[in-house]
Amino acid sequence: MDVVVEDVTQVWGGGSRAEVVALDRFSHRFRSRRFSCLLGPSGCGKSTLIQIVGGLEAATAGRVRIEDPAKPGVARPLGDDSVMVWQNLNLFPWRSVIDNVAFGLEMRGVAAAERYDRARTLISSVGLRGFENHLPGQLSGGMRQRVALARALILERSILLMDEPFAALDAQTKIVMQEELLRIFDATHKTVLFVTHAIEEAILLGDEVVVMTARPGRIKEVIAVDLPRPRSLDMVSSPEFGALFDRTFHLIREEVTAAMAQQAATAAAS
Amino acid sequence: MTAKGKKSVARIAEAVLPTASVALFVLGWEVFVRARGIAPIFLPAPSVIAVYLWRMIADGTMEYHLGVTLLRIFAGFAVAAVTGIALGLAMGMSRIVAKVADIWIAALYPLPKISLIPLLIIWLGTGEAYRIVISAVTAFFPIVISTYSGIRQADRGLIQAARDLGANAHQIQLKVVIPAAIPSIFAGLHLGMGVTIILIVAAEMIGGSSQSGMGYLLISSGQVMETEKVFASLVVLAVVGAVVIKLQQWTDRKVAPWAHRDDR
Repeated sequence: MDVVVEDVTQVWGGGSRAEVVALDRFSHRFRSRRFSCLLGPSGCGKSTLIQIVGGLEAATAGRVRIEDPAKPGVARPLGDDSVMVWQNLNLFPWRSVIDNVAFGLEMRGVAAAERYDRARTLISSVGLRGFENHLPGQLSGGMRQRVALARALILERSILLMDEPFAALDAQTKIVMQEELLRIFDATHKTVLFVTHAIEEAILLGDEVVVMTARPGRIKEVIAVDLPRPRSLDMVSSPEFGALFDRTFHLIREEVTAAMAQQAATAAAS
Repeated sequence: MTAKGKKSVARIAEAVLPTASVALFVLGWEVFVRARGIAPIFLPAPSVIAVYLWRMIADGTMEYHLGVTLLRIFAGFAVAAVTGIALGLAMGMSRIVAKVADIWIAALYPLPKISLIPLLIIWLGTGEAYRIVISAVTAFFPIVISTYSGIRQADRGLIQAARDLGANAHQIQLKVVIPAAIPSIFAGLHLGMGVTIILIVAAEMIGGSSQSGMGYLLISSGQVMETEKVFASLVVLAVVGAVVIKLQQWTDRKVAPWAHRDDR
């Protein structure tokens, strides 16, 4: 599915509170079956954008169309083709791993036998066999991350929205999860919108890196990443990777400086 | 001493000292009473209390009164739990119910429920109804308030995640909001159980027409200066209280293990 974002603006507050423009006329076509990374400083509206794409927030202005590239011009309802992997995972703490993973099917009314069957297959495919009946609280961060991924994948939606999913992980676990995600992407070729503020992660995972400006969030530049797939972590040391990193780094440095100045100004004003 | 040795000494002390402190206290009490020759009317020695306790158990008095009190406690608690959870859930689901109930709770919650005893005796007499109503009314408020706040504090992120995974409004309430409120509901039940015990025993002391229950046993023994029986009853009440609390903690861990991650 193509995700076509047209002039999306998001304004928070208003009324008695000061207005904050989170996104300002953001337009971009996220192409079907491609891995797009949204990179930007904190507060640039990148999480807001994917929530709008997922139909979880209404934009103040502008619109998002989900289009099957085979049937251009026919917009599908927002939220029907996408599923979100959250920054803080949002696993249901009272549900076992298998009941978390099967949640979406349960809501859809799929019979217990079938949904557990499918959940079990997915749980072992993300390497959690034997942990079906554990509660999320009994698992490590990386394992919880896998549960969240499996819970999203079970719905077989064609668009995967990921909001800084690996931000809370330690460095080693993060590498393992990035490789896991690359493997899943190579196997399923979903359309992925991946929010991150780690440059290396954006280049390693993405087919393109959409660099955003500090608030209000606009597109600063779209960088095409033409590293071959399957990707592996070894590529990080290649000259091509290094060139992409440098280019992205210079773009993002300006924006992070701008964002920090904004935050200082806000803190001084309040 | 090595660091490891110190640690194990600390662990032994942790295991032994709580019990030892109780034993020491009882021993000190015994010695004090005997050495000073204090009359049992004022302060009976623990050994004497134990003998009385044993006699009361042997002839069945203690079991009878305790049994009656426990029945009343559970009756009052059950009424409060059912009505309290039901209203708390209704408040959580409907803004109108919440608005209306809120004003009543604000007015009635701070009122000491014991002050209702005269009215209730006028209306209901001093029978079972009065005792159950007074305890249920008291336990009702903490249960309603905890249930409602548990529902309201349900994690917004979980609700959004459920919606994203295809849950409709009804499913979100049933599968996310209510389960998320369970630890809070149980906290309310704990508070409710505590006040139910207090109110039942107090009510048994005041309207003594039914001549039964631990409260009656306490007040009637006190009136004839049978201080040993008073103490024996207090010991039983303390033990029962401790058992009830432990039972509640145990059910908590069974029903909502995710809410007790720290102490696993």
